[in-house]
Amino acid sequence: MKSRLLNVLAAAIALAIPVLAHHSFTMFDTTKQITITGTVTSFEWTNPHSYIEIDVPDEAGAVKHWSIEMGSPSILQQSGWKFSSLKKGDKTTLVINPLKTGLAGGFLNTATLPTGKVLGNGPGRGPAK
Amino acid sequence: MKAILCSVFAVTALLPAQPAKTPDFTGVWAPFSGGRGGDPKLAPPPAGQLVLKPEYAKPYEARRAAEAEAAKRGEQLATAGAQCIPYGVPTMMAVAVYPVEFIQTAKQMTIISEAFSEVRRVYLDRPQAPIDDVAPGYYGRSVGHWDGETLVVDTIGIKPTVNGYRGMPHSEKMHITERIKLVTPDVLHDQITIEDPVVLEKPMVYTLAYRRMPDYEMVEFVCDNNREYVDEKGVVRMKIKDK
Repeated sequence: MKSRLLNVLAAAIALAIPVLAHHSFTMFDTTKQITITGTVTSFEWTNPHSYIEIDVPDEAGAVKHWSIEMGSPSILQQSGWKFSSLKKGDKTTLVINPLKTGLAGGFLNTATLPTGKVLGNGPGRGPAK
Repeated sequence: MKAILCSVFAVTALLPAQPAKTPDFTGVWAPFSGGRGGDPKLAPPPAGQLVLKPEYAKPYEARRAAEAEAAKRGEQLATAGAQCIPYGVPTMMAVAVYPVEFIQTAKQMTIISEAFSEVRRVYLDRPQAPIDDVAPGYYGRSVGHWDGETLVVDTIGIKPTVNGYRGMPHSEKMHITERIKLVTPDVLHDQITIEDPVVLEKPMVYTLAYRRMPDYEMVEFVCDNNREYVDEKGVVRMKIKDK
């Protein structure tokens, strides 16, 4: 329960803070969370956003490709991400807010790394300590 | 003896006042506003009111209304930022949570924003150029001087396509005055006054606040993977890959 609350908080902060940096998150359905599990085809540690490209098999074995948007490296590193956190071929489970258009894209809420570590999408840097 | 003392006093009185020791802003600073972990006394004062001349207020309000309508439909209208166009002065001074770095020397204050790696140079103790001699751009020309412990920065030459405070319009005649000072050793305020005889009914004044980020190393920010694009209706969309 606590971690769920933290996730919600992290998502809320992530959504609220980077708005001015690049674009608003209006295109994503933030009322909806879906979970996808698949194989990373590329992890792009880039600006203005980082991306996880991932192949997701359905129950029948058909593979659908998803593009998942994240914060920028500056924002992500504040929540433990590194440029090497994911690699091509890694299996990962992502919780995302899907695009409102229904296309196979979304905004990352959390990722479970192959190590089992769960990372958010950058809680925002906040004031310096 | 009395005569000597009197003459010493007289000479001292004639000397110009010693300038206050200038503070050192060098370092990395994170923007913050009230209510986010800060002492409310150190938060910036509320922004003044934006009052545009009627001919500019109308299209500005129409744009804001269109943005709100689009948001209700789940869409964002195109912005410069979404297309990775730099923010320029003064907006680059506070882009979300991205820090700014000040590098201070006797002759120049260099300010770098982490978002989009924007750079502005403030030339100290140099005269400002006539506005007609400054090519309009994103950063214009900035000169500064110390007023006691406050750095006063004067900027002209921002081109009208560079959005101002909250997307406010402005003309090539916009003149920005900043008063930057430490309110504590680790909290910096930048009071920004925007004057524009063409667009504004009265100067727009707002203040940004920053906290020092000791030992922070600025992160590279080159916008080379922008998946956001503007569709034919002027709406921001995200490109997705097929594989």
